[in-house]
Amino acid sequence: MRLLWVLFKKELRAFFVSPVAYVVLALIMVLSGYSFRAALSILERGPSEGSIVQWMFQPNWFWLSYFFTFPLLTMRLFAEEKKMGTFETLFTTPVHTWQVVLSKYLASVFVYAILWLPSYINFHLVDWITAGQVAIPPGSLKGSYLILLAMGLFNLSIGCFASSLTSNQIIAAVVSFSASLLHFLGGLFIMVLGRKVSETFVDITNYFVSMEHIRTFTSGLIDTRPLVYYSSLSVLFLILTHQVLEFRRWKP
Amino acid sequence: MIDVQDLTKQYAGRTAVDRLTFQVEPGQIVGFLGPNGAGKSTTMRILSGFMPPTSGRATVNGFDVFHDSIAVRKSIGYMPEMAPLYTDMRVKEYLRFRAELKGLSGRAMRHRVGEVMELCTVSDVRRRLIGHLSKGFRQRVALADALLHKPPLLILDEPTNGLDPVQIRQVRELLTNLKPAHTILLSTHILQEVEAVCDRVLMIHHGRILANETPDKLTRGLRAASVVQIEIQAKGDDVLTKLEALPNVRKATQDAEQDGWRMISLRVEARQDVREALMDLVLKQNWKLRELHRQLPSLEDVFVELAAADRAK
Repeated sequence: MRLLWVLFKKELRAFFVSPVAYVVLALIMVLSGYSFRAALSILERGPSEGSIVQWMFQPNWFWLSYFFTFPLLTMRLFAEEKKMGTFETLFTTPVHTWQVVLSKYLASVFVYAILWLPSYINFHLVDWITAGQVAIPPGSLKGSYLILLAMGLFNLSIGCFASSLTSNQIIAAVVSFSASLLHFLGGLFIMVLGRKVSETFVDITNYFVSMEHIRTFTSGLIDTRPLVYYSSLSVLFLILTHQVLEFRRWKP
Repeated sequence: MIDVQDLTKQYAGRTAVDRLTFQVEPGQIVGFLGPNGAGKSTTMRILSGFMPPTSGRATVNGFDVFHDSIAVRKSIGYMPEMAPLYTDMRVKEYLRFRAELKGLSGRAMRHRVGEVMELCTVSDVRRRLIGHLSKGFRQRVALADALLHKPPLLILDEPTNGLDPVQIRQVRELLTNLKPAHTILLSTHILQEVEAVCDRVLMIHHGRILANETPDKLTRGLRAASVVQIEIQAKGDDVLTKLEALPNVRKATQDAEQDGWRMISLRVEARQDVREALMDLVLKQNWKLRELHRQLPSLEDVFVELAAADRAK
């Protein structure tokens, strides 16, 4: 536990001494700020269905841009150590591989959580400025940030895994970006096909594509199934990462 | 301290280490000597628990490197080749991080970090970014890191690589001072280094051990020919022939001539001394002699010879 904390501190520090965290933070602030402005403009048009939270999180382009954060946060984690040869110094100290994997993953999750704070504050600002005139349904708000976190856990674990596969950060970034995006685009695909495929197929796919999860969570419906789905996938990818790193110790 | 039995490591289609067997006693400094690519680093990585062997067995401090990896890592201070470090950290910060990883904490940790920084003369750069340090400093930061938890065994892969002569001497002194409390296995391809600090030499070539001796014994008990250098004043073309006629002289060559003085080297059969016979000849011929010097074979000669013998086998 103590070692995990030591490693976690070091990883977190690495994010903030390099420009990475700031660049990603700026990116997210610009994109979420833009989405927020777009949501507000719907409000300006007069009374309409839905809430400002849904208008912000439901458009697809908000999610597309959001996928840039994961490779940026995770590509460095293992690839850099492999390239620099610091794995050799790291794994010749009494640390377990799972401690290394978990500390790096948790550090990226922590930074990811920080990235969304400004957008959360935006909602409270609107509430404060308009003196509560704009309806911000609390369930919807909580649901949105919960699904944001759940999808983050999943995509960051994919990023970790991609980074453990190679010593080249660019390759790690491309792999994790493609994997995250493919998973997401599966949902868009179903939306486009709509009623052209059988209903059972759509129903089954909706269990594991993000689009439907986003829709339910942003409307304030907190469904435990997607939460379990994303966290178990995250665990799976972390185990895979662990196995990739451990392989070195077993390879004859 | 180290017990290696039939250790073999194969990479795809290439045998890096071939049935290595050796022991290292506690308190010794053992030099791992061999050309680049001989299998030194591979062996050290296996001993540090970073890689498993393909076959064979190695124990460090009584722990198996494969099954008790964590216990092995606690008993060694390992410094990899090229001294990889986190370049975005400052020296003190890095050493504190490493000390915490190795189980030190609080005041004991801070004290120990200060101590190793003094020992390895990196205190002056403790606030500098590692990425901005010269090779020599990085090398010493890595060495300081290896010493942090006072491990009974130090495994150092080319510890003096990239240092200037003054720094090399400092590191050698440091190693000699560490000796009673620590066992040290260091690799190098510099022969003088082994002669200067090591109690024993493990000579390795193509993944196999060529010799496992004290440096002294190795140079003395050798088959390699020694060389006697003389500087004489003698006239005539038959001087070299006369010298070669001496028993046990293999070959005489004139290296230079200056103001009538001829510098001649005589290659002498192994374990033979020709100096007295040579003196007799000089007196008999009425030559003038102003220098007579016997050069013992260096470890380098030994190495070349052993490697050649190995190839012949």
